[in-house]
Amino acid sequence: MSDVNKPMPERGDTPDFAKPGSLLHWLDKRLPLVETWNEHVGQYYAPKNFNFWYFFGSLALLVLVNQFVTGIWLTMSYKPSAAEAFNSIEYIMRDVDWGWLIRYMHSTGASAFFIVVYLHMFRGLLYGSYKQPRELVWIIGMLIFLVLMGEAFMGYLLPWGQMSYWGAQVIISLFGAIPFVGPDLAVWIRGDYVISDATLNRFFALHVIALPLVLLILVFLHIVALHRVGSNNPDGVDIKKVKGPDGTPLDGIPFHPYYSVKDSVGAVAFAFLFALVIFYFPEGGGFFLEPPNFEPANPLKTPEHIAPVWYFTPFYAILRAIPDKFLGVMAMGGAIGVLFLLPWLDRCPVRSIRYRGLSFKILLTVFTVSFIALGYLGTQPATPTLTRLAQLFTLGYFSFFILLPFTSAREKCKPVPTRVTYHG
Amino acid sequence: MVKKFFAITVGLLLPLFAVAGGGHSGVELHKANNDLRDQASLRRGAIAFSDYCMACHTLKYIRYNRIARDLSWTDEEVVAKMAKGLSKPVDPVMARGDLKAIHQVLGTTPPDLSLVARLKGSDYIYSFLLGYFEKDPKKGVWDNHYLPGTAMPNVLEDKYRFAKVDEREALARDLTNFLEYVGEPIKVKRWDLGWKVLLFLFIFFIITYLLKKEYWRDVK
Repeated sequence: MSDVNKPMPERGDTPDFAKPGSLLHWLDKRLPLVETWNEHVGQYYAPKNFNFWYFFGSLALLVLVNQFVTGIWLTMSYKPSAAEAFNSIEYIMRDVDWGWLIRYMHSTGASAFFIVVYLHMFRGLLYGSYKQPRELVWIIGMLIFLVLMGEAFMGYLLPWGQMSYWGAQVIISLFGAIPFVGPDLAVWIRGDYVISDATLNRFFALHVIALPLVLLILVFLHIVALHRVGSNNPDGVDIKKVKGPDGTPLDGIPFHPYYSVKDSVGAVAFAFLFALVIFYFPEGGGFFLEPPNFEPANPLKTPEHIAPVWYFTPFYAILRAIPDKFLGVMAMGGAIGVLFLLPWLDRCPVRSIRYRGLSFKILLTVFTVSFIALGYLGTQPATPTLTRLAQLFTLGYFSFFILLPFTSAREKCKPVPTRVTYHG
Repeated sequence: MVKKFFAITVGLLLPLFAVAGGGHSGVELHKANNDLRDQASLRRGAIAFSDYCMACHTLKYIRYNRIARDLSWTDEEVVAKMAKGLSKPVDPVMARGDLKAIHQVLGTTPPDLSLVARLKGSDYIYSFLLGYFEKDPKKGVWDNHYLPGTAMPNVLEDKYRFAKVDEREALARDLTNFLEYVGEPIKVKRWDLGWKVLLFLFIFFIITYLLKKEYWRDVK
């Protein structure tokens, strides 16, 4: 280790600590440790021009770990029964050592997950990360988003507060709007005619075992699929096209140590903001923990205003904007479903917004503004004026997907450079 | 880059905190201006709770010994002051009255108040306590601006009739303070720990950033 003049091991060389006789050598003979490490970390070449938007992938992973660890500890003291659930949350908040911190980390983590994932998805839109050859990365990512929504929805029932109960009641009743099978389907999901102890127990099982397992597998596939085709970048340039004499991309740098250390900076900055919320704004202004949820679930008392948690409100606003309940459910499902088709709706070969035409920039702006506006409207009671606005923004949301195939086919793009732009 | 990270993330989070949750029958609330660090106020509030509220209301999520620990009382003091020595320090704070009988008189069961501050907010509690008015002075019927038609009698009636406004407000503030404390007993400790965590993370951020800069020097 002290010999500084010794040449660095070449790519593919066996490092000293993996020479015959070492523990790693023994393990590596039986398990592809070095190979896997090199392929995915040590010699995974990522473009060197990642910008701010590229933090959110690793941050999503960080939040996932946070949810797993805090979730395990919450499970140790939480009681999944209609009679005990609410009490056990207060037990965690008051009597369990550091229980309040673990619970706030988990509840804030749920909101943080969606903030980070929405920004991560927006990055994909900005730089065309969903395009060939990364269609499958996008689709797996969308599946993660879908499972994440299920995970969050079921988790929100567990505190068994008024908003837990009535939020779940509203969302599950949506399934009842499906013709013919709807009502039976809703009963099948609840395991009862109303939300009850049976619903709470099955949601608990799904929230702590089934969905996290699916989520973990999907995240694994998301990363493996990404590493097969390589990361996109803010220029949308394929770095594999320009390689040096050693066969590595000239614009690529090994993920470790360059991005492991850079993502650490992002992780600490995120942790700072996360801690700021946990210690000083754990209710997130009534959006992360809603005030009505501090009252135990009461099946006989409907709250005046039921709103889902903020991360569902854009889709909830679309649902309410459509006067017919079944069509509303279809529109809401379509708003999520259409995202899966994005790689094929966008017919422009240029990936990054930096080199794309005006039409795409306008469409993406309309889409983004509509999404945020719908998110706000979904938190508000539906007055006639606000419903009109929601209808307008629903149109804005869908116009992105409807117009894109036409505009992108004849888009006037700027020439894409062969190398990435990087100013060290 | 780093500045941008902060700017954008803070920008995204801020609107969330700007909007406060809940609205209460459209009447504007008074600011409670209570101070959770004022232990004397919390102790007065605890005793006032025992005097004015505990006939009907429970605080089932908090035990006497927890109150003692947080309000700098001994276990003996807390049961003497709040429960007239009738409860054990490990007991949760329960109502003295028979809730079934109270239900028959009022037509409703008085809610547990452990989480009322988190449900309605401190300003609501303060405003509600001061929001009674005499609807029918001849019959002595009271109503409340903030919860019209409330079944709760004006327990502070003597303070409305015979005390100065200042005294009434001070009492309401102490009660509010105590109920906010009961809503989240850890709150002050959370505040006191938070800045230390943030300071650590800030220093750790600088170190991580410098490490990153050092590694990235050779990226041209």
